[in-house]
Amino acid sequence: MEHTYQYAWMIPFVPLPVPMLIGVGLLFVPMATKKLRRMWAFPSVFLLSIVMLFSANLAIQQINGSSIYQYVWSWTINNDFSLEFGYLIDPLTSIMLILITTVGVMVLVYSDNYMSHDQGYLRFFAYMSFSNTSMLGLVTSSNLIQIYIFWELVGMCSYLLIGFWFTRPIAANACQKAFVTNRVGDFGLLLGILGLYWITGSFEFKDLFEIVNNLISTNGVNSLFVTLCASLLFVGAVAKSAQFPLHVWLPDAMEGPTPISALIHAATMVAAGIFLVARLLPLFTVIPYIMNLISLIGIITVLLGATLALAQKDIKRSLAYSTMSQLGYMMLALGMGSYRAALFHLITHAYSKALLFLGSGSIIHSMETIVGYSPDKSQNMVLMGGLTKYMPITKTAFLLGTLSLCGIPPLACFWSKDEILNDSWLYSPIFAIIACSTAGLTAFYMFRIYLLTFEGPLNVHFQNYSGKKNSSFYLISIWGKEGPKTINKNFRLSTMNNSERASFFSKKTYSDGNVRNMMRSFITHFGNKEIFPYPHESDNTMLVPLLVLVFFTLFVGFIGIPFDQGGMDFDILSKWLTPSINLLHPNLNNSVDWYAFVTNAIFSVSIAYFGIFIASLLYGPVYSSFQNLELINFFVKMGPKRILWDKIINVIYNWSYNRGYIDSFYARAFTRGIRGLAELTHFFDRRVIDGITNGVGVTSFFVGEGIKYVGGGRISSYLFLYLFYVSIFLLIYYFLNL
Amino acid sequence: MNFFPWLTIIVVLPISAGSLIFFLPHKGNKVIRWYTISICLIELLLMTYAFCYHFKLDDPLIQLEEDYKWINIFDFHWRLGIDGLSIGPILLTGFITTLATLAAWPVTRDSRLFHFLMLAMYSGQIGSFSSRDLLLFFIMWELELIPVYLLLSMWGGKKRLYSATKFILYTAGGSIFLLLGVLGMGLYGSNEPTLNFETSANQSYPVALEIIFYFGFLIAYAVKSPIIPLHTWLPDTHGEAHYSTCMLLAGILLKMGAYGLVRINMEFLPHAHSIFSPWLMIVGTIQIIYAALTSPGQRNLKKRIAYSSVSHMGFTIIGIASITDTGLNGAILQIISHGFIGAALFFLAGTSYDRIRLVYLDEMGGIAIPMPKIFTMFSSFSMASLALPGMSGFVAELIVFFGIITSPKYLLMPKILITFVMAIGMILTPIYSLSMLRQMFYGYKLFNASNSYFFDSGPRELFVSISIFLPVIGIGIYPDFVLSLSVDKVEAILSNYFSR
Repeated sequence: MEHTYQYAWMIPFVPLPVPMLIGVGLLFVPMATKKLRRMWAFPSVFLLSIVMLFSANLAIQQINGSSIYQYVWSWTINNDFSLEFGYLIDPLTSIMLILITTVGVMVLVYSDNYMSHDQGYLRFFAYMSFSNTSMLGLVTSSNLIQIYIFWELVGMCSYLLIGFWFTRPIAANACQKAFVTNRVGDFGLLLGILGLYWITGSFEFKDLFEIVNNLISTNGVNSLFVTLCASLLFVGAVAKSAQFPLHVWLPDAMEGPTPISALIHAATMVAAGIFLVARLLPLFTVIPYIMNLISLIGIITVLLGATLALAQKDIKRSLAYSTMSQLGYMMLALGMGSYRAALFHLITHAYSKALLFLGSGSIIHSMETIVGYSPDKSQNMVLMGGLTKYMPITKTAFLLGTLSLCGIPPLACFWSKDEILNDSWLYSPIFAIIACSTAGLTAFYMFRIYLLTFEGPLNVHFQNYSGKKNSSFYLISIWGKEGPKTINKNFRLSTMNNSERASFFSKKTYSDGNVRNMMRSFITHFGNKEIFPYPHESDNTMLVPLLVLVFFTLFVGFIGIPFDQGGMDFDILSKWLTPSINLLHPNLNNSVDWYAFVTNAIFSVSIAYFGIFIASLLYGPVYSSFQNLELINFFVKMGPKRILWDKIINVIYNWSYNRGYIDSFYARAFTRGIRGLAELTHFFDRRVIDGITNGVGVTSFFVGEGIKYVGGGRISSYLFLYLFYVSIFLLIYYFLNL
Repeated sequence: MNFFPWLTIIVVLPISAGSLIFFLPHKGNKVIRWYTISICLIELLLMTYAFCYHFKLDDPLIQLEEDYKWINIFDFHWRLGIDGLSIGPILLTGFITTLATLAAWPVTRDSRLFHFLMLAMYSGQIGSFSSRDLLLFFIMWELELIPVYLLLSMWGGKKRLYSATKFILYTAGGSIFLLLGVLGMGLYGSNEPTLNFETSANQSYPVALEIIFYFGFLIAYAVKSPIIPLHTWLPDTHGEAHYSTCMLLAGILLKMGAYGLVRINMEFLPHAHSIFSPWLMIVGTIQIIYAALTSPGQRNLKKRIAYSSVSHMGFTIIGIASITDTGLNGAILQIISHGFIGAALFFLAGTSYDRIRLVYLDEMGGIAIPMPKIFTMFSSFSMASLALPGMSGFVAELIVFFGIITSPKYLLMPKILITFVMAIGMILTPIYSLSMLRQMFYGYKLFNASNSYFFDSGPRELFVSISIFLPVIGIGIYPDFVLSLSVDKVEAILSNYFSR
């Protein structure tokens, strides 16, 4: 048993060879590496599966034994200062490990197909494996510096992956925005780490908790300073988990490829903030005010995310806002001190949201062939609708994910969300009311997405979405080759015919000679009318991960359900998290009050059904299959008698559609502010500091010229000056002697 | 004891071998290139060999010492020696200069003179890092100015004469103060002039005099290092110079200022240093923010990188001013790390300029598709420059941060303030470096010219950037490579501060 722990340090390094090899290969032997293309998917999936098995093993040991194992080796700087590196395997870590590896493997398998025709296929896998590496490193870290290192590496991976399609200007802006926003969080994190180091002299979690505990109990430290440090640490988590003031990057991050949105921006990386707060919870609980701050930020984010998700047109953005709102739930739970509920929701949400994103990826993948590769069109829900007919499996999976997120009983998110809502009643009624009504909103917007996408008619065919509708076959390649270009027929057929690509990798469609040619024009127009038609179901390699995630979504909730076994409550999650803290339930081992549970559950489920009902009323095909063509105009047509209602709706829609005006406020306040400041300092630098230098130069030039002019070489003028001055002196002398 | 004059050979070899370039047969540039590169390689190998076998890391004293009388009248010696402080910059010089000569292959105009000047600069830089005599230090310091001036004024952009004049005026102006300081220090006290480093290190001066000396030296180093407000030569110079010159300037020349600050100001004038250090700290902090804010306002790519190096040198100044073991180690690490990163960024900027022929960032865009390798390397080094963990910049900055936090000299509030402001610099760095990347590479743009001359970087350029990239990663993962060189010496220097 011990020996598996000994090798746990390997976990982050196992997937590392893939990005290194691909990177080296692409730099030195690009042609040969690219020929191997889809061979590279195997090692990355394989290595991550190894980690998955390993972490499953660890998790089982954690459940049975619950031992925290930590090994440290040091990285000396000098005699009195050393950074220590180690790993820490505890329940929290093992949960995160399982989560990252399972979702990671699914997403890797999925993206093999999703990205198969992208020019950057290899780059994608390199980035992806590297982000897995750093994420695994983050969760196994044993001290704050290590966390900071991996924290930034994860941020960099996210930057690279958001900017993956770097020819799109929107993606370029989005990745910079994401990195800078995250850097603001890192700034807080670093300052918090430094402050805590200054207080305690240690980075290790264990020492940190003990020393801070002692100091607080003996009043040995200024509590204001400690609170400041803790809230700075929390800023890091706020940025990474897209909580309220720093959430702006997450919706824009959806410019990245969809598998990335599933893995990094829904399941793992954004959970890092939750992870950090959970990890530091023993610290935060002893420091005053900070827990209130956390729950406050959490509840604001819950509400904000849900309201912003209401009127998004882009399918991925609405999912992103939903992610933000759900992360707010977890933050809220942590702020309330219910550690278990937060982690439970983290697990269930990760699977459900990964499922939803992969489902949306499948939708986008099939829409792309009809409407074009611009994310404005292929992700636009206005153009979708009625996809049930064309892609039944995706529809089922997506529906299950939606139901799970809405909190409909047998599915995963129900159990965890219900637990959070219960706990919030204990904590504060106001928060609880907000959280419950947001649960209704969640159901509403999730079903809005679902109904717009899968029900009703396929809007793309008879809605003139833009002037370019008729030229939707004329697509602008994202790699920049504009204009129609003929490509070989073999390739075109291979994208359209699924049957050929059922095999895991079909190298035969890439004839060696023109790989590059085809890759360059891999996305061009499809001119043939007979292939145009309807969206088609995705390939098996994309569907299998979806189905596996459906499985998880169905059953992962059961780890948190208490089973009665011999008078004692017995649920796996509690057993897993035994040593952890639980503030709201000091007497955890009491039997669960089934009556209270059922009433609460009925309440929250009815709220969810209410949301679903409203959504189907507004967007459902039964009520108005023709009206939802124009989403924005929809409410105008409702009749004059409900003007006030219309106004409210319009305000909400505008608020949501303009992202709560927060982005534009930031753009105005910070971006322009920094630009103005940059201009100002640049001006100061050029005109004042450099101006002095140049001024000295110019003056000396003029003085020299003047002297040259005076010293023109005429002896008579010299004599004149000489005599002039002599006469002046004589005069002065004369007057002085008077 | 080994009496073989390693250091003399190392110092003299490049310039003497370089002067032979003029006697080489007129057979085109190829001969000259290969000759220069082989000289550089021999020098580098010699250096590595000498330091490997004749330098003991755990000894904080001067090693490989040589002492020859040169001019009897005022006791002027040819006195060389290295210790833990100078070995790092010397190795950096060897490394960067070798790569810079490799990077200078496209230079065809007057390539004899160009390569000779590079080699002359090599000698001057190693000489000033290794000299143990005040006057010799000054002479070496001046010696490398002339090649730089010529390199700037002959192989540069359109405004090269302006920048070269500015450079020479600034540095010569700074050198006056250096000369004053050197003479004052040498002539103080005894009847005979004492120019030896050892004797002056042990000498103590009246506080007022010490402050005057300190100030004089500080101005000279502030010009070189650059410390605001004496930095304006740097963007102009870097904006105009050929990129191999830029590599030398950013990689080594700027480090001489910081080196001098440690070597003379910290070691010889401890009282004045502890008086001045709060001011240095404030100036350094302002510099980080100021340069990081000026940088996004630049349209010229090279000027933007130049301001980023001004900003990074702020960390060095803060590390030096923190008067702690950790802080000073961090400063030295930052010297080395920025030597690599700055040189590489200028190299990449230069090579991409060679291809697209555009200077201004807002005219560029979308060159990532034709040049993926340059894109990759440029992104990696931008990440290194914004202190991504795992690369050397991060470790250096982190250690400087710890230096401040643990510094016993300062009170709590100033420390918090300084740390806070420095950390704001951490937010500003990605803004300018990532927007630079975005403007250059991201997006899509049709070039009117045919794509024929958009070659991606060839093996030579790839070799240069990768061989700089490896140490950056290496130091980032295991910083003891560099720190083990300097740790003991740093302790010895700092023991002055606490014993007195």
